[in-house]
Amino acid sequence: MLTQSLFYFLSFLAIFSALAVIIAKNPVHSVLYLILTFFAITGHYILLNAQFLAIVNMIVYAGAIMVLFLFVLMLLNLNAETEPQKPAYIKIAGVVSGGLLLLVLVGALKTVDVSGAGGTTATDMGLVENLGMVLFNEFLLPFELASVLLLTAMVGAVLIGRREA
Amino acid sequence: MIEKSWLIPLLPFLGFLINGLGRSRISKKTAAVIGSASVLCSFILSVLVFFELQGSAETGVTVKLFEWIRAGSLQIPFSFYVDPLTCVWLLVITGIGFLIHVYSAGYMHADQGFGKFFSYLNLFVFFMLILVMGAGYAIMFIGWEGVGLCSYLLIGFWYKNDAYNDAAKKAFIMNRIGDLGFLLGIFLLIATFGSTDFTEIFPQAAGFQSGDGRLLAITLCLFIGAVGKSAQLPLYTWLPDAMAGPTPVSALIHAATMVTAGVYMVARSNILYALSPVAMTVVAITGLATAIFAALIALTQNDIKKVLAYSTVSQLGYMFLALGVGAFTGAVFHVMTHAFFKALLFLGAGSVIHALHDQQDMRRMGGLKKAMPVTFLTMLLATLAISGIPPFSGFFSKDEILAHAFSRDPLLWVLGFAGALLTAFYMFRMLFLTFWGDFRGTAKEKQGIHESPASMTVPLILLAVLSVVGGFLGIPEVFARQAHLLGGFLAPVFAASQEVLPAMHVPHSTEWILMGISVLGVLVSIGMAWSLYVKKKRVPAEDTVQRSGLVAWSYHKFYVDELYQALIVRPLDALSGFFYRVMDKRFIDGIVNGVGSTILAFSSTLRLLQTGRIGSYLFYMVAGIILIFLLNYLIF
Amino acid sequence: MTSLIIVSVLAVAVLYLGLFKYKTALLPVSVTGLLAAAAMAAMDWDLEKMYFSEMMLFDNYAVAFSILLILTTLLIFGLSRNYFEKISNNVAEYYALMLFALAGGVVMVSFHNLAMLFIGIEILSISLYVLAGIRRKDPASNEASLKYFLMGAFATGFLLFGTALIYGATGSFNLAAIASSGAFESALFRAGVLLMMVGLSFKVSVAPFHTWTPDVYEGSPGLIAMFMATVVKTAGFAAFLRLFLMAFAEASAFWAITVAILCILTLFAGNITAVFQDRFKRLLAWSSVSHAGYLLLAILAVGFSASSAVLVYTIAYSLASVAAFGIMILVSRARGNDHLDSFNGLARTNPFLAFTLTLAVCSLAGIPLTAGFFGKFYVFKVALAQGYTWLVVLAVINAMIGIYYYFKVIIAMYMKENANAVAIQLNPGFRLVLSIVVFLIFLFGIFPGLIANIL
Repeated sequence: MLTQSLFYFLSFLAIFSALAVIIAKNPVHSVLYLILTFFAITGHYILLNAQFLAIVNMIVYAGAIMVLFLFVLMLLNLNAETEPQKPAYIKIAGVVSGGLLLLVLVGALKTVDVSGAGGTTATDMGLVENLGMVLFNEFLLPFELASVLLLTAMVGAVLIGRREA
Repeated sequence: MIEKSWLIPLLPFLGFLINGLGRSRISKKTAAVIGSASVLCSFILSVLVFFELQGSAETGVTVKLFEWIRAGSLQIPFSFYVDPLTCVWLLVITGIGFLIHVYSAGYMHADQGFGKFFSYLNLFVFFMLILVMGAGYAIMFIGWEGVGLCSYLLIGFWYKNDAYNDAAKKAFIMNRIGDLGFLLGIFLLIATFGSTDFTEIFPQAAGFQSGDGRLLAITLCLFIGAVGKSAQLPLYTWLPDAMAGPTPVSALIHAATMVTAGVYMVARSNILYALSPVAMTVVAITGLATAIFAALIALTQNDIKKVLAYSTVSQLGYMFLALGVGAFTGAVFHVMTHAFFKALLFLGAGSVIHALHDQQDMRRMGGLKKAMPVTFLTMLLATLAISGIPPFSGFFSKDEILAHAFSRDPLLWVLGFAGALLTAFYMFRMLFLTFWGDFRGTAKEKQGIHESPASMTVPLILLAVLSVVGGFLGIPEVFARQAHLLGGFLAPVFAASQEVLPAMHVPHSTEWILMGISVLGVLVSIGMAWSLYVKKKRVPAEDTVQRSGLVAWSYHKFYVDELYQALIVRPLDALSGFFYRVMDKRFIDGIVNGVGSTILAFSSTLRLLQTGRIGSYLFYMVAGIILIFLLNYLIF
Repeated sequence: MTSLIIVSVLAVAVLYLGLFKYKTALLPVSVTGLLAAAAMAAMDWDLEKMYFSEMMLFDNYAVAFSILLILTTLLIFGLSRNYFEKISNNVAEYYALMLFALAGGVVMVSFHNLAMLFIGIEILSISLYVLAGIRRKDPASNEASLKYFLMGAFATGFLLFGTALIYGATGSFNLAAIASSGAFESALFRAGVLLMMVGLSFKVSVAPFHTWTPDVYEGSPGLIAMFMATVVKTAGFAAFLRLFLMAFAEASAFWAITVAILCILTLFAGNITAVFQDRFKRLLAWSSVSHAGYLLLAILAVGFSASSAVLVYTIAYSLASVAAFGIMILVSRARGNDHLDSFNGLARTNPFLAFTLTLAVCSLAGIPLTAGFFGKFYVFKVALAQGYTWLVVLAVINAMIGIYYYFKVIIAMYMKENANAVAIQLNPGFRLVLSIVVFLIFLFGIFPGLIANIL
């Protein structure tokens, strides 16, 4: 009972703050709402008994990345006035297309029989121990290749960020 | 060794690449050495293949290289087929090819395009080898087109002369007409047998009824190809014009090898022809008609190379006569001996032309006997050979053909004999005009007369030896039993068709008589030439003199070129002008431009969608996704 | 697998070379490494090896496409001498990024698990986002990079969403497990297939997800655009086909019609818009969109004949693109821009370049005796075998439109004059690569059997 009401609360919070991210005029507010969204999702992870993911989500996304975002925004000194004004029809087109996309996705998935979905039903999957076992056994190769991915991104970031001589 | 026979065409191809790519950097000497050595190596390999094949029990060996085309059930592998027939051609192409390469080194030494010349020659040898080694009609067709291309390139080798270019174009177009027939034949073969491979087609074909309509259509189409390539009536007119090319080219391509490709093709398809009596008759009649027709023209020509060109057309006619009467071995035999003596004649003529600084008109020659002894002697031997004097090579091959013709129909023999008389006459006319009498050119030319260098005379001597002894490969039954070595070697190739065709039955006494008559006739004919051109010292009239009667017809080549011009070229010109003005300009262009402007209109509209804004791009993407989902969940 | 390791290690080694300023060693080391990688890939032929709990499967399909990717990269490296030096000081990093992208491409053609597919695509994409923006002082290059990144991220979202739904439906990321799960009727599965199709369509620029292509190609440096048109497109299509062949083939009745419609959209969008372009690079970008359309035809024909068709097509397309983009680089460097007028009179000043470009666009247009003809031939053949006659008819119409705009550049080179044109100087690398390409286009155009039947 408690889980269920918590789920609804967190879901409401996540959707509301996600909407607020795009509606808010001030970029700093947007980022703050985004942090709130991440918190709500972290809550969901905990409800799903995925503690490791919850912690990582909290520390990496909400903590590190979002704080970085905030710094950048504040350094750039963006605010509502410098934001370019988009014509109304573009906004309407955006809303309509976004809404339609939601609609078709819901339409496509509404017949899904959730209980019959083939996925794993183990509830302790998200614990550090189990996750580690999977990551270092079955998914060892993707895990290692992710290092190539990160290295690539790092080289790219340095390349773009470095001052040209 | 046979398994490695793909090296034989590869070497000349490498020679072509090296000489072709490096022609500006390679010295003339190196180019000549590379060009000749590659063909020499091929010749040595061919000899090895020959000995291996002779010793083995197998009829033919297929060397599969790789799969070339696979479309549906049709498979065309790129593979070679080596059997005795291929082997004979291999030896002729690479052997004579090598001699002519050596000769060219002397003949072309002053030419600017020396490297280019050798690269083309090597390319020609490569394609010719592909033609005779291909294991199916499709591969043969590659070589067939390739030699046509090389012939075009080499006829127009001195491309700054417009007349030479026209000659090259003429050769190419005439050949294309024939090629169309060949191509149709290949399509019919695919439709009938589902393959283009010899080893698949011939066993199947052997099961057909004699006179089958499909076989008739195939053989006639293939024969059209042979008519174009081997310069038979009515597509022969390109060959005399092809003499515009350098003389070694005339010797190699337009006498010894390429023009015999048609003979090779018909001989290769012997089983198909043996089962189509109508096609055989067509082949025989075309060959005989060409033999006489070309010989008549040759009687009055004054350009030394033109005489030889018409002589070649005429001799090719004899080969087709042989094919048509079922004397396949005789045809191949004649191809071989003809390759020896005709290449020799051309090279000798080249030597004369070289000595006289590009003078080709026999009315400006004469009395060269003393000054050019080697050229004279070798050409004399070749002329005796082509005239059919025993025991020179031409006697044996021509006699075999005529004997077979007689067994088919005595009338064929009579006409063939008449052609032989003409041959002896015009050949000795040429020889007498060139080497006997007094020199008729300018004094300056007279001073410059000299015997050609060794690189040119050595091939002449070697070819002369071959022309003299080449006939002993095919000694007929009347002289000795089992002495027809070539026939024994080729027997497995023609075994199937010999079962179908009626055997030759000419009593030995009759054959002796026929031989005697033909030798006597030829001697009489030579005597007539002697009395006219040596004793009476007659010299043909200048071009400006009006001729009358049969002489005029012969001199003007029976007006065939003019006839083609009036009957085909001019109406075609007019028609194409009409199509250009009315159909193309008004009708087709109208449609095309209409379609084009519609697309342009669409395009200019679509282009506007490309705004450059990420927002609109994302919008299209989302719209696309929505459409995909709607499509999948609502409509289907 | 060894080749993947070599490519990754090579990238790191190149970074070190840059660190220690061995600039002259960059190219030789990269070329040697790539040759070794190609050789190692060839060693895996016919072995059908699975690696690391079925994460990767090095079957012949993977080997063939890996070798194709590596060799194409090699050709591009052959053109790269003195290229990056003019753009930036950090040459080593660019080689390294291209090698990383190649590693991603190798993963994309050999994956046997959706997780690997995702990681492969991301390695490739992230390298490209950076490479597109190499010209840091050029706003167009910056814009290209940002646009590609934003839209790429958007598309990746769909790809990931689709992957998640498929996992939900089948309980596995493993291609074989997905194929044998029998969950093809479930709505989760179907939505997943469609979303993955969207994500992959973006990567190979299939309409209506192609819109980034012309802008990004135009903004990126020519050599990077060449890389995108060849290696990236090949890897993308190989991955697309591998996924749909190995995992979703059983459900083809469901997704085939969508692919067919995307195919038509792409063909028309690519070809018709290309007609109006007057800049060669943009024209090539639109033609690259249209080629995605032809390749989709092959995906419709589920079966191993489709692999062969895609292999032949991508080989032909990569070869022709290397030549076309390479000459575009030369011309725009010498004459200031890549406007079609800049090609005027090229036949007189540089006959070799004009001939090579003619051959390349003939191959792109699918004229016989070039490799491109057989590319189209096999693709059309497999589509016809599946009964998509109407689709092939539309594709042939599009091929004819293609000839129209491809020949614009030939007309410019041979029939228009440019009085003050001077001959363009070629460095040996260009000469070598272009000669190899000419040779191969002819070789495969005359003997398609060499590549058509190896898979």
